[in-house]
Amino acid sequence: MLEFDEDILKKKSIDELTHLFMDSINEQNLKLIEGIKYLIEEDFDNFQNNLNYVIQSNAEVQIKRRFEKKIFKSKKASFTKADRLKLFSEINAIKSKGEFLANKMLLYKVIFPDQEFKVRLEVILNSLKNISNNISDAVKLIGTDLIRAHDICEDIKEERREMRNSEWLLLTRLWNYDMDYLSRTFAYLKDLLEGIMMLADHIKNFSEYIQFLSTKYLIFK
Amino acid sequence: MSTEYGAIIIFVLMILAIGLSFSIGANDETVAPLAAAGTIKFKLILILGGVAIAFGMIFLSEGVASLVGEKILGPGIKYTIFMLLSVLISSILWLVIGSFYGIPLSSTHSLIGSIFGVVIVYALFVGNVDPVTAFNQEKLMGVVISWFISPLAGLVVTYVLYKIIAKLFLSKLKGLNQIEKSESRFAWSLLLAVFFAEIWVGANSAEALGILYAMHSNGEISLGMYYLLVVICGIFAFLGLYIAGRYVVRNLASQLTDARPSDGFIIQLSSALILMVSTVIFSVPISHSHVIVFCIIGMNLAQKKEVDYRGLGKMFVFWVLTFPIAALFAGFLYFGFISFGLY
Repeated sequence: MLEFDEDILKKKSIDELTHLFMDSINEQNLKLIEGIKYLIEEDFDNFQNNLNYVIQSNAEVQIKRRFEKKIFKSKKASFTKADRLKLFSEINAIKSKGEFLANKMLLYKVIFPDQEFKVRLEVILNSLKNISNNISDAVKLIGTDLIRAHDICEDIKEERREMRNSEWLLLTRLWNYDMDYLSRTFAYLKDLLEGIMMLADHIKNFSEYIQFLSTKYLIFK
Repeated sequence: MSTEYGAIIIFVLMILAIGLSFSIGANDETVAPLAAAGTIKFKLILILGGVAIAFGMIFLSEGVASLVGEKILGPGIKYTIFMLLSVLISSILWLVIGSFYGIPLSSTHSLIGSIFGVVIVYALFVGNVDPVTAFNQEKLMGVVISWFISPLAGLVVTYVLYKIIAKLFLSKLKGLNQIEKSESRFAWSLLLAVFFAEIWVGANSAEALGILYAMHSNGEISLGMYYLLVVICGIFAFLGLYIAGRYVVRNLASQLTDARPSDGFIIQLSSALILMVSTVIFSVPISHSHVIVFCIIGMNLAQKKEVDYRGLGKMFVFWVLTFPIAALFAGFLYFGFISFGLY
């Protein structure tokens, strides 16, 4: 598992620690998405490896501890502290939801109903990957360019809207299969889709919070 | 009345004036934005604030004190010790009642209202003077008009100052790092603005020093004694802020931690300028709390934020009522003294 040098972490600013945290969480998110793609391809070994990486990874705990020490001791910029803390907790929530989804997905080795389902699921996963990368970019721009961060968040919201249509179509397809609704396959696929929706919704809400920060802190002539 | 009782009353007036100075410091919240910004240690903030308020009181208050203590009165009219006692008791009582009911009142309006009440009673029942000529109408009208103009001036100055600073600096900041860096510089500017504001808060505090000037003006105390008491009042204002004012400041600062130092700087600078002009040019006592409230409104308007007009309306009612109620209190009190042959 990845570990960070404490001396290097000590020298990083609050903003830099936030970026490092975001990178760490985004990497795990991308691993999770890749893992689900392996599941679609029925590559169960890589699927398991990826999801176990997401569950067992705790390098971000080091960053979190260093961040908390730094921000609570800092006497500078008390007016942004609450927002900095909230940003961190929103990023942490991505990790929590991703870990929850990973744990659920490891409960059973599913076989997808048909090729069409796999194709549509991949489209949704690609959108999730996009918004995950976008939110990471937006977080890193908060320190230097809130306007650009705001614009990226607008793109995230737009992509989420399109994702939602695809998700509901896929759920409708699932419910219309000639399948026992008490079967593990059905429950698994339903939880998988809902887990992806939950994670995507969180990213969308997070993007709205970043947009709120831009209206809160930017002063227009 | 025997000299002995007269001396006791004078002593009581001195103690009350000193006590009033202590309460001016104790209720002063000018340093709260600085405490919220966390630029320097809390104790140092109190010391600097206390020194500034004492400085203002000791060296810059004579103009306002002389207006309240002498120049506001008509020709031939002088305060008696019982008039001053009625004024002090009335203004303190009204402020205490206001505190119990959680109503923010102006000590300046309370003082001038009390003076108005006792002088009218004196004119009608003791001096046999036309109540109109009992006052220097020009000075009195100047004081009353300043109570309307100073808050509006605070609003306008804050609005304009914010627009200028926003255009020149704040609108150019794009990211949170830049904003934090800029605000930490503004936090140091806030220190200077608060110090500047505290000096003029002290200089414009007419309550205690006006009473002392009145005692000097009618010969109850010598000039040397007056200056000594002014210094003591300044020291007690410092002690008031340091010992008791810390709780007010800490309480308010905890609510201001989300406020930007640049906002605090603009508001404090605006209120300081209004106080300075009122003190130096016009020598009129104005209400610092009213000016601050309108400066905050000016800031909200400039930032296109919501203004609580309903709350403002409620406050306005109490502001307007303070003068007549304090006048009635003081008038009745002095009338009571007159009834016992104490003029």
